[in-house]
Amino acid sequence: MSETNPTAAAVALSGLRKRYGAVTAVDGVDLEIRPGEVVALLGPNGAGKSTTIDMILGLSAPDAGTARVFGRTPAEAVREGRIGAMLQNGTLLDDLTVAETVRLVASLHRHPLPVERALQRAGAQDLAARRANRLSGGQAQRVRFAIALVSDPALLVLDEPTAAMDPATRRDFWKAMYEDTAAGRTVLFATHYLEEAEEYADRVVLMTGGRIAADGTVAEVRAAAGGRTIRAAVPGAAEADLRALPHVTGCDLREGRAELASADSDATLRALLARFPAARDIEIAAAGLESAFLTLTDQTRDDEPEPAR
Amino acid sequence: MNLTYTRIEIRRALRNSRFLIFAFAFPVFLFLIQTNVFVADDDPGKDTATAVIMVNMLAFGVFFAAMSNGGRLATERAAGWQRQLRLTPLTGRSYMLGKGVTGLLLGVPVLVAVPVIAVLANGVSLDGAQWTRILLGTWLGAVPFILLGLLIGQLARPDTLQPLSMGLSLVMGFLGGMWIPVDAMPTWMQHLSPVLPSYWLTQLGRGAVTGDLSRGLGLTAAVLAAWALALGALVIGRYRKDSARA
Repeated sequence: MSETNPTAAAVALSGLRKRYGAVTAVDGVDLEIRPGEVVALLGPNGAGKSTTIDMILGLSAPDAGTARVFGRTPAEAVREGRIGAMLQNGTLLDDLTVAETVRLVASLHRHPLPVERALQRAGAQDLAARRANRLSGGQAQRVRFAIALVSDPALLVLDEPTAAMDPATRRDFWKAMYEDTAAGRTVLFATHYLEEAEEYADRVVLMTGGRIAADGTVAEVRAAAGGRTIRAAVPGAAEADLRALPHVTGCDLREGRAELASADSDATLRALLARFPAARDIEIAAAGLESAFLTLTDQTRDDEPEPAR
Repeated sequence: MNLTYTRIEIRRALRNSRFLIFAFAFPVFLFLIQTNVFVADDDPGKDTATAVIMVNMLAFGVFFAAMSNGGRLATERAAGWQRQLRLTPLTGRSYMLGKGVTGLLLGVPVLVAVPVIAVLANGVSLDGAQWTRILLGTWLGAVPFILLGLLIGQLARPDTLQPLSMGLSLVMGFLGGMWIPVDAMPTWMQHLSPVLPSYWLTQLGRGAVTGDLSRGLGLTAAVLAAWALALGALVIGRYRKDSARA
């Protein structure tokens, strides 16, 4: 019963939905994370990242759909110490030292790491004797990382772990995190720093409006948003015609100027010129993850961009 | 019961200066002052009067330990620490139970200190049965107050906590007979006082040292048990509501 089912996904979400009053925070999320994957959950504020994470952790119950962690309910996975998490806006207890805080959490788990080892892995060993109210924002995050690690969890969930850090601290944090996950831990982290997703994640899941807008490797997500962007003045063209061109994944037409996102800009451009010989002022630009992010999370669009997988 | 967890909980409480002042130093200090001011050396009832003051201070000490214990619940709630704990195998029930046990243990220092001073400095002399009723009674009689503290911790925010617990201390202390012995109360207050559970907490010990203005042990225990049941139901109800909202 307590063995990990080798075929089970580390995280499996299906049809997950959650409403808060009139707001649908998560609106039908399906996601499967394989053991050992490092996945970045990207998206603007209000995209539903934290709500999704809360349901994976069992901190809130979905209105519809299911969340499974290693084939178990989140509550069971938590009880077995399989999940370690750094929550957003969490604080530490001011009346305890760092070592005591981590020991307290360790004492609640069945098979914890030695406190010193957890502190060391999180790069917080030099903070052991410090009270929580004497820590900087970045130091507090490292301690909270140690708390997440102390149960030696198979799945690590980090909700915007570097939000309060300056760039140097952020780099150190990811270094510690990277060394730790070499051991094959599954990691899901939410972030709004694109470079963090680009640099540290095997896979990027982009959320917007409570749904998954794109899911794949960084390269795939870029492609999903249009590997390139073609801008041109196309007199007389209708948006539907432009969208019908091959490999077009997105289209924005304003006063005769079109901005096309394309997965294969060469093919799209040839077709564009064949169909609209009057097209002029043509520019082609490569889309970075940032523009992919903007394209895919642009909520003014009615259509859903094609996911990469 | 998790020993490491409980030990760290106790250590946290002992680091809190408000706890140390109000649940330990203040009752000791008040005992010394009241016995000096109100008990004359040539008073034939001096031993009883001293014992009554001791009993009241014990009640006040365990009362404030319970309030301070519940206060940590509010702090942990506001700090997001309860969410962190929900990611461990600790169940909500064990969490609340642990807080209850900690509340009981936090009453122990004052239950030791005041009697030791009363015996050594004031020559209070009581038999085993009297001591058992006073110490064990006051200790267990703290249960409804521990539940009251937890209820406040479930409801209050850290910034409303202090005025709330100070206000309650004043009412329970003066009207409920912990700071002023019933003997010193005007008649109208003597009639009003039994409304408050702190009156019955002081009665637990008072009955062991004097029959004057005392209630029977059975009635006292029953009233406190009723308070414990009512407050326990409120704590559990609130706890269920909190868990369901998740």
